[in-house]
Amino acid sequence: MSTETSTATATATATPRTEPAATLLRVENLHTVFEKDDSVVHAVNDVSFDVRRGEVLAIVGESGSGKSITAMSLLRLIPSPPGQIIGGRVLFDGQDLLDLPDDAIRQLRGRDISMIFQEPMTSLNPSLRIGRQLAEPLRVHGSVPKDKVRERCIELLRQVRIGDPEKRLDAYPHELSGGMRQRVMIAMGLACLPRLIIADEPTTALDVTVQAQILELLRDITRASQSSMMLITHDLGVVARYADRINVMYAGRIVERGTAHDIFHRPRHPYTVGLMESMPRLDDAIGNRLTPIPGSPPDLSDPPSGCPFHPRCRFAQPRCKQERPPLERLDQEHWKACWVNLDDTH
Amino acid sequence: MTHTDSHTDVTAPLLQVSGLKVHFPLRPGLFGKPAAMVKAVDGVDFTVHRGETLGLVGESGCGKSTTGLAVLRMTPLTEGRIVFDGEDISHPDAATTKRLRRKMQMVYQDPFGALNPRMRVLDIIGEPLRVHRLTRTRAEYRERVMDLLDRVGLKAEMADRYPHEFSGGQRQRIGIARALAADPSLIICDEPVSALDVSIQAQVINLLEDLQRDLGLTYLFVAHDLAVVRHLCHRIVVMYLGRVVEVADRERLYQAPRHPYTRALLGAIPIADPDPVVQARFNPSVDGEVPSPIDPPPGCPFHPRCPHATDLCRREAPRPIDVEDGHSVACHLHDPSRVAEMNHSEPSYQEQARNIA
Repeated sequence: MSTETSTATATATATPRTEPAATLLRVENLHTVFEKDDSVVHAVNDVSFDVRRGEVLAIVGESGSGKSITAMSLLRLIPSPPGQIIGGRVLFDGQDLLDLPDDAIRQLRGRDISMIFQEPMTSLNPSLRIGRQLAEPLRVHGSVPKDKVRERCIELLRQVRIGDPEKRLDAYPHELSGGMRQRVMIAMGLACLPRLIIADEPTTALDVTVQAQILELLRDITRASQSSMMLITHDLGVVARYADRINVMYAGRIVERGTAHDIFHRPRHPYTVGLMESMPRLDDAIGNRLTPIPGSPPDLSDPPSGCPFHPRCRFAQPRCKQERPPLERLDQEHWKACWVNLDDTH
Repeated sequence: MTHTDSHTDVTAPLLQVSGLKVHFPLRPGLFGKPAAMVKAVDGVDFTVHRGETLGLVGESGCGKSTTGLAVLRMTPLTEGRIVFDGEDISHPDAATTKRLRRKMQMVYQDPFGALNPRMRVLDIIGEPLRVHRLTRTRAEYRERVMDLLDRVGLKAEMADRYPHEFSGGQRQRIGIARALAADPSLIICDEPVSALDVSIQAQVINLLEDLQRDLGLTYLFVAHDLAVVRHLCHRIVVMYLGRVVEVADRERLYQAPRHPYTRALLGAIPIADPDPVVQARFNPSVDGEVPSPIDPPPGCPFHPRCPHATDLCRREAPRPIDVEDGHSVACHLHDPSRVAEMNHSEPSYQEQARNIA
C-alpha cells in the first residue's frame, strides 16, 4: 500500500518521464578559472548540461568539485579577480547570459533565476528588518505595485509557513531561528516567481528535522509554480529524495549524469560507485565495513594527467593515465566519462 | 599512575555519569537584573563500558558537546557526579586533573582549527608525550611519534611537515595520533567526521574502528549524523534539550525506536535510494524547531513538537523507564504507572502507545 501512495507522489512531478520536457537552461562547455599565487585553478572545466522545465536537477560532488562555482558562474556571481569565466555559453531563453550587459543580468537575477545560498546567517543583512529585505527584489524588479508590496511580503512568508507573518516583517534576522532565516531566504528567492531556482546546499547548516521541513517545502513550491530547480549538494540522501536527474562532479568536471535511478541503482563511473560504497547507510547490515575511496581529491592547480580520478580509481588502466575520457552517452539519459566498462557486478 | 591502576576493576564501567547538570549564566542584564541561565545539560545519566563506543546524539542545543566537555572536566559541573575508572572526578584537584588529561583524550570536529599551524607534526603528535614526560630521550620520542604516524596510516616522512601541507582527512589522522600518544583509556570524539567529505569520512571511520579493535579503546562519540552513529556506536544515548530521551543498543534503537523524538529524528533522514518503496519510509513527523535552552518548556522538553503530547506532558517531565533490558525511554506513553493519566480525547492512549511501540 505504501508503494502505491509513494509511486503516486513520484509521478505527480510536473513532467511525465516518457517525453523529456523542453529545455529551460543550456550550459555549454563552461570553463571557470581562479588565479591563485602563480598558478591557475580550473575550478569548472568544460561542463555542459541542461535544465528542463519543471524538473529538479541535482549537481552532487564533494568540496572542491566545482559544483558551487558552476552555479555561481551561471549568474556571473564569480568574484573577479581572482575568478574568471574563460569559456562556454549559458543559454536561457535563447540568449547567452555570459554575453549580457551588466544591467541586463542584474535585471534577470532574482526575477527569472534566483539563488538560495547555504548560509542564511550571512546572506541576510543583519541590520535590516525582514520586511525590508523581502521587499527588495519586488521593488528592484517592479513586479508588484508599490502599495501592494507589504501584502505580497506577508503572502510570501505565509507560503513558506512562517507563523504570524505581519509581526515577522518587523523582526531582524537575529531574532529568528536558523530554520526561519532559511525560510525567509526561500521566500526572497520565490518573490518574483522565477522560472529557475538555484539552491546551493540550502539546508546544510540546519538540523535534520528542520532540513526535512525546508526541503519538502521547497520542492512543493517549485512543483506548484512549475519552476525548475537546480539543487547543489554533497548529500546523497537529499539527492535521492528530491532530484529527477543528477550530475556527479569530480575535480571540476561532470563524470556521470543520469536519472536518480541510474545514479543510485546502476552507477557506471568508479567515482560514483566509490561514493555509494563509502557512505554509511541506515539500511546496511550492522558490522559492515565501509569501502572508502583511497587518497584525496586532486589539487586543481596541478591536476593529474588523463582522467582526473585515475590516481584513486581501483579500475584504472594504463589508458586512463594518458587520455581523458569524454562524457559519453550510455543510453537515453545516462552518461559517463570513463574508459572502463563497469557492469552491475563491480 | 599506580594510583588509578590499583583500583581498576575490568568489569566495572569505565565511566558513569549521574544527574549531570551544566548551567551557564548569560551576561547579566543592566541594573543588576539576575542573569538568565542556559540549561545546557539538565539531568543526564549514562554509563560507558570498557571497549565500547557510546554515541551521544541529538540536534544542536541538545547538550551533547557540553556533556563531552563536562566528562573531560573542561567545564564545571552545576550538579551531578562523574565516576571515571572507579574514581569520583566530579571535583578533581590539580593532580587528578593532570592525570585525567592523560587518560582521557579528545578528537575534535575541525581538523583545520585543532592543530597549531606553527608546529611540526612531530611536535603536535608528541605534545602529550612531553607534557606528561612519557619518553626519556629525543630518539625515543621520535620513535614513538613514528609509531603513532604508522598507526593512523601516515608516512614517517610527514613528521617534519606543517599542518597546512595536509588535506582535511590527513589532519584528522594527525589529531587522532595526538589523542593516542599518551595511551588513554577513553577518547571523546566530538563530531570527528562531520567536516570531512564522504569519501574521506569512510577512511576515518574505518581507522577509528581499527584502533578500537587493536588497542581496546573506549569511545564516547558525540555526533549528529545518525547513519555514522549507527555504523560506529554499540549503544546510543539520544538527547533533546539537555536531557536524555532514550538509551538503547543500536539494533533496538534503529529498528524499534520508542520515543516520539527518536522516531521523528530517524524519519527525517533522507535515505540515499530513490526507490519509491524506500522513500515511503521517510516520515518527518515533527514541525517546528528545538526551543531555546534558556527558557525550556515545562514538563517534557519535547511536548511542544510532539504529536502525542497531553496535559500530563505539559505539566510534568517524564522519568526514564526501562522498557526492555538496556532500553530506557523518558516518555509518559511508556510509563505504565502514568499512561492512565494521559487523558486522551482522541484515539485511546493504549492505541497511541501501541502505535508508538
